[in-house]
Amino acid sequence: SVARRRLLVGPGSWPPTCRARCGRCRPCVPVHVAIQPGRNVLLEYYPEAWRCKCGNKLFMP
Amino acid sequence: LFLPCASPLSDEGKALLSLKASFSNVANLLLDWNAANATGDGDDDHCAWRGVLCDNLTSSVVALNLSNLNLGGEISPEVGELKNLQSIDLKGNKLTGQIPDEIGDCVALKYLDLSGNALYGDIPFSLSKLKQLEDLNLKNNKLAGPIPTTLSQIPNLKTLDLAQNQLTGEIPRLIYWNEVLQYLGLRGNFLNGDLSPDMCQLTGLWYFDVRGNNLTGTIPDSIGNCTSFEILDISYNQIRGEIPYNIGFLQVATLSLQGNRLTGKIPDVIGLMQALAVLDLSENELVGTIPPILGNLSYTGKLYLHGNKLTGPIPPELGNMTRLSYLQLNDNQLVGNIPEELGKLEELFELNLANNYLTGPIPLNISSCTALNKFNVHGNHLNGSIPLELQKLESLTYLNLSSNNFNGEIPAELGRIVNLDTLDLSANDFSGRIPDSVGDLEHLLVLDLSNNSFSGVLPAEFGNLRSVQVINISYNKLIGRIPQELGQLQYLDTLILNSNNLYGEIPVQLANCFSLTNLNLSFNNFSGNIPLYKNFSRFPPESFFGNAMLCGNWLGSICQPVLHP
Repeated sequence: SVARRRLLVGPGSWPPTCRARCGRCRPCVPVHVAIQPGRNVLLEYYPEAWRCKCGNKLFMP
Repeated sequence: LFLPCASPLSDEGKALLSLKASFSNVANLLLDWNAANATGDGDDDHCAWRGVLCDNLTSSVVALNLSNLNLGGEISPEVGELKNLQSIDLKGNKLTGQIPDEIGDCVALKYLDLSGNALYGDIPFSLSKLKQLEDLNLKNNKLAGPIPTTLSQIPNLKTLDLAQNQLTGEIPRLIYWNEVLQYLGLRGNFLNGDLSPDMCQLTGLWYFDVRGNNLTGTIPDSIGNCTSFEILDISYNQIRGEIPYNIGFLQVATLSLQGNRLTGKIPDVIGLMQALAVLDLSENELVGTIPPILGNLSYTGKLYLHGNKLTGPIPPELGNMTRLSYLQLNDNQLVGNIPEELGKLEELFELNLANNYLTGPIPLNISSCTALNKFNVHGNHLNGSIPLELQKLESLTYLNLSSNNFNGEIPAELGRIVNLDTLDLSANDFSGRIPDSVGDLEHLLVLDLSNNSFSGVLPAEFGNLRSVQVINISYNKLIGRIPQELGQLQYLDTLILNSNNLYGEIPVQLANCFSLTNLNLSFNNFSGNIPLYKNFSRFPPESFFGNAMLCGNWLGSICQPVLHP
């Protein structure tokens, strides 16, 4: 599985490369995107995830 | 009037009218939901009703979208008659009552969103009959009781959001064996029990959020197997033990472990998790030093380590975290200097180093952090003077240097940081005159210069601080009169000038400060009469004590007060 392969490679992670993740759109670059988990959370930050961005479009890495 | 016998409506039309009948506040919202609208030409009149979507061929109701309409009342059990419904969206209303068991009869449902209402009672077990369900969103309600184990029997469930309810009991382990689940939102409930090692069986999950529950136990060693997670938020629970080494195998962008009871050191392996956008380990019981290898996290925007028991120096390597916008290391036991390498953080928005044991001066390089908005070093042992270079921080809105050993004069150039809303220099050894240019800080809300050795007079330019709400310059060596210009400050709520050497009469113009509710002029050398009109009548004698030559209505005053006309 993916998990077992990771254990063989060792710990650590890297932002997505976003290579060919935006269809034909270029340039395709990784960005932080805030994920809004609910309402009434004005005082706290939102969790963030990586997405691939091209122009004003976001794609899954 | 709704007369079921006379209605030409189909059964589904009748079910919709039953739904309408159990809603309230519908008068203007569902005007067209009306049997009288039905012409009898066909069975599909209800398909034109607001929020109702029918299948083109079969004319059966496939979607009901009545979101954000301020609807009250309850969800009628008749909803179960709409057997072809694929989507129900009732979010953002004021619906109350229980979720009817009959909703389990809508066997074609793929999407059910009842979030943002006031629904109470249990989550019905009957939901597990919805074998087509992909999205279940019940967040922001008042649902109680346990999470039904049977939810694990919904084979296609991709999103399960039960956040912000009053759910109790344990998270059913069986839920973790769903291979298609992508989003699990359980924050803000009263869930208890341990984090199960099974949580990493969720091979399709990217969002795991149990923030703000009563979960106990430790972070399972198997956590490293949760390699599909992008967001792992187990903050504000009662998780104990050490952060396991295996956490380094996660691929997460957000790791939120704050507000637990984690002990031990910050494992070095976290410094290899370069996909981290947000790392929050704050408000735990972590000890040891900040690993210099965290400087490797060159893609991280937010690093929160505050509220632990961290010791040792701030590693200069943190200056390599060039994407950092938030750095909060406050409320630890950090020693040594503020490393000048932090000046490399050009995107830094907030730097909070308060309540540590830091020594030495503010490095001049901090002025290179031109995006800096908030800078707080309160409660350390820092010394030296305010560097002139600080004026380059034009974005600064919050500057707190209080409770340190800073000395020297306030540079006049500080008045160029015009966006400041808070300037707190209290409890230091600052001296000299307060520069007139402080009056240029027209957005200032709070000015605290108390407990220093400032001398000279109060600048008349303070009258230009048109937004200011709090001025505290108590416990200094100010001389001269209170400038009458202070009477222009319409938002001034608190004026604390006690324990100085101010003299002269209290200017009557102060009575024009309509918002003024806290005034302390005690222990100065004021003389004459206290203005006794407008708001001044609200201030107690304590506001004026210790001014031997001041005339007021307290016992032992040199005179009885004279009422102004």
